[in-house]
Amino acid sequence: MTAAISCSGLSKRYGELDALAGLDLEIAEGEVYGYLGPNGAGKTTTIRLLLGLIRPTSGSARLFGLDCQREPVAAHRRVAYVSGETNLWPSLTGAETLHLLGRVHGQLDESYRDELISRFDLDPSRKVRTYSKGNRQKVSLIAALMTRADLLLLDEPTSGLDPLMEQAFRHSVHEARERGQTVFLSSHILSEVEALCDRVGILRAGALIEEGTLAEMRHLSALSVEATFDGAVPDLSGVGGVSAVEVVGSVVRCQVRGSIEPLLKVLAAAGVRELLSREPSLEELFLARYGAQSAATDG
Amino acid sequence: MAEPLGARAVVLRLTARRAGRSAGVWAYAFSLFVGSSALGYAATYKTAAQRRQLVTTFGNNAGVDALIGRAHDISTVAGFTEWRSLGILSLVGAIWGVLLGTRLLRGEEDAGRFELVLVGRTSRGGATAQAVAGLAAGPLVVFVVTAVATAVVGHDSSVAIGAGTATFLALALVVSAVMFAALGALTSQLCPTRRRAAAYGGAAVGISFVIRMVADADPHLGWLRWASPLGWVEQLRPVTAPDGWALAPVALLSLAAAGLAVALASRRDLGASILPDRTAAAARTGLLGGPAGLVVRLGRSGVAAWALAVGGLALIVGFIAKAGGSAITDSPAARRAFARLGDTGTGTRLFLGLTFLLVAALLSLVAAGQISAARSSESDGLLEHLLVRSTRRSTWFLVVAALGVAVVLTCGLVAGTAAWLGQASQHGGVPYGVMVNAGLSLAAPGIFVLGLGALALGVLPRGVDFITYGFVGWSFLLEFIGGIIGLNHWILDTSVFHQLATAPAVSPDWATNGVVMGLGALGIALGMLGFLRRDLRGA
Repeated sequence: MTAAISCSGLSKRYGELDALAGLDLEIAEGEVYGYLGPNGAGKTTTIRLLLGLIRPTSGSARLFGLDCQREPVAAHRRVAYVSGETNLWPSLTGAETLHLLGRVHGQLDESYRDELISRFDLDPSRKVRTYSKGNRQKVSLIAALMTRADLLLLDEPTSGLDPLMEQAFRHSVHEARERGQTVFLSSHILSEVEALCDRVGILRAGALIEEGTLAEMRHLSALSVEATFDGAVPDLSGVGGVSAVEVVGSVVRCQVRGSIEPLLKVLAAAGVRELLSREPSLEELFLARYGAQSAATDG
Repeated sequence: MAEPLGARAVVLRLTARRAGRSAGVWAYAFSLFVGSSALGYAATYKTAAQRRQLVTTFGNNAGVDALIGRAHDISTVAGFTEWRSLGILSLVGAIWGVLLGTRLLRGEEDAGRFELVLVGRTSRGGATAQAVAGLAAGPLVVFVVTAVATAVVGHDSSVAIGAGTATFLALALVVSAVMFAALGALTSQLCPTRRRAAAYGGAAVGISFVIRMVADADPHLGWLRWASPLGWVEQLRPVTAPDGWALAPVALLSLAAAGLAVALASRRDLGASILPDRTAAAARTGLLGGPAGLVVRLGRSGVAAWALAVGGLALIVGFIAKAGGSAITDSPAARRAFARLGDTGTGTRLFLGLTFLLVAALLSLVAAGQISAARSSESDGLLEHLLVRSTRRSTWFLVVAALGVAVVLTCGLVAGTAAWLGQASQHGGVPYGVMVNAGLSLAAPGIFVLGLGALALGVLPRGVDFITYGFVGWSFLLEFIGGIIGLNHWILDTSVFHQLATAPAVSPDWATNGVVMGLGALGIALGMLGFLRRDLRGA
């Protein structure tokens, strides 16, 4: 089956700055992919390259097998896009904007559009210049979702949305997944990515430094352990795989990477009364990955 | 603890810096215009007989008076310089003032930047007061540079304009910018968008200009000059008969408009307007089916305003053409003087041919505006909404270019028709076909400018405004002063207006016009190639 998104050695350079450095990416149809990274990591550059708005310095990108630079219009017919910085024509109303964007795209589910207008609580009769940032973002989201496009390219799509609308957005992405649409979600809201995505890629300084399902990433990452003792707290500093040991009274907290067996032996020997362990959240994974990279860079 | 002035006056400093930067090119243009007028006159009209000829031509010509203003004592270098500079530059300064005032007030508010400074230790009224005060830096820069340049030129024995006179002349040249910048600040409070604020300010400039024209066309209506801000500027007569009292209404209007702007800013919400604004409307989707309809929908009110301005100017020119032309027809000396400026022909047609330069310049500004709007669409992030859907880059580019050509041709047709109506009402005797032909020929430089702008849009998008507006300004300046100061033809040929036959004084040269329009088409084609190969770029 043709991949929804396929990038090979995709690079973009602005003067001395590598905005994107040799990105290799493959996203299958029907997948919901989270694209993580802090500001300036290259997320928006990737999306603009996929849309053919900017040209790569080297490498290539394809959407459903169509070259993003040579066949942009054919590719765009299967794509809908939401940007994080939504600027719209101020003199048009919301309804006029949706009509225009639907006509220009060429694909529109009118009943779904009306449902989305209701779901996102948008007043389409108002002029765009009177909309708040959040309302402009709603127009952009509805314009993308109403096309039922095969691929949704979402660049910080919930920027400016309140928590209720954030829920409406998540509901819409779940619907898209159920319909078999592919979603490429660029975000730095980790809880959003964690809740929605099958697979995650972490970008740093223009390069993909980690990629996999959340389960895979958790498996490779440290487990958080908290143990409470009746007596003295054992010394865990020499236990294999254990790091970030923190002792508060009779409670010890630590991170363990790899097999947990050596730690369990030491804890059992010391008479552990209570043991809690939990997988790291995406936020912890992300921060750990960035922390490690920063330390390596600084070092 | 006392807060440093710099922290309190951050809006003032920011606005002053931006206004001062914007003033650089105008300071250069004003100085060049004044200097070249003075030196050119001194070099061209050396003898008393030559100067008498000029007085005969322009000294009592109702048509020319209406266009440029009353000519006083133009047998002297100083008198001629005052007449020519005040007549043109006060109008240019007024338009610049409106654009400056609305850009740095309403434009900043529209872009959301004003909100950022308002969260600091200031109020809406306080910040607006600082912004209005900061606007003054623009005219101040133009005043200082023009005064120094005029004094330097005046030092030449053939010119002989003293430092004091040079200073007052420079002041007279910039007061229209001060008044209309303050009016721009006021319309920024009244209107919900920068575009509308600029349109209201532009209307004020137009009304002021028409009143001043009427006052100067008929000696019995001279009192009307006191009803027009541009009339007050003329009343200053800084060189021939300095009248400081005319500064009183200038100061009064500037302070009143600025004060009212500050007061109104305190009484409205950020982003709102004093005049009622339609915040909601029923959907009208007739034109919203694709990029062409969208460009028409978004640009139609602006194009209508431009067409109205072009038609209005052409109507007035036509209306006064017979009176202006009769002085030329009756005087062999006057005809020789016009021939010196590069024009041939007689009477009404000669006057129309000469004054159609202004209309041609306006049409070229229309063309520059079309490309500027296209660039704004890209830099504001609006174009990408089309390009990430099913619109091809080439389609959008060709739509912009084709509609630009259509707008320029329509404005040319409007100009020819309106000028015909004006002159026909005075029995000027120029046939409709001749006038329409002349009007359409004015589109040639407009299409060239469109092509130049399209080329810039394709390869140097951030330089679009500078290149297109700068080229129109350069061409106009050369054409206006080149004939007087006898510039080398190589330099004159860099003006697109210099390629234009002075129709309807003579028949339009469609062969040359074809070449000029062909170059415009080439610019469009090359621009499109560049656009297809480059990244979209923000501001």
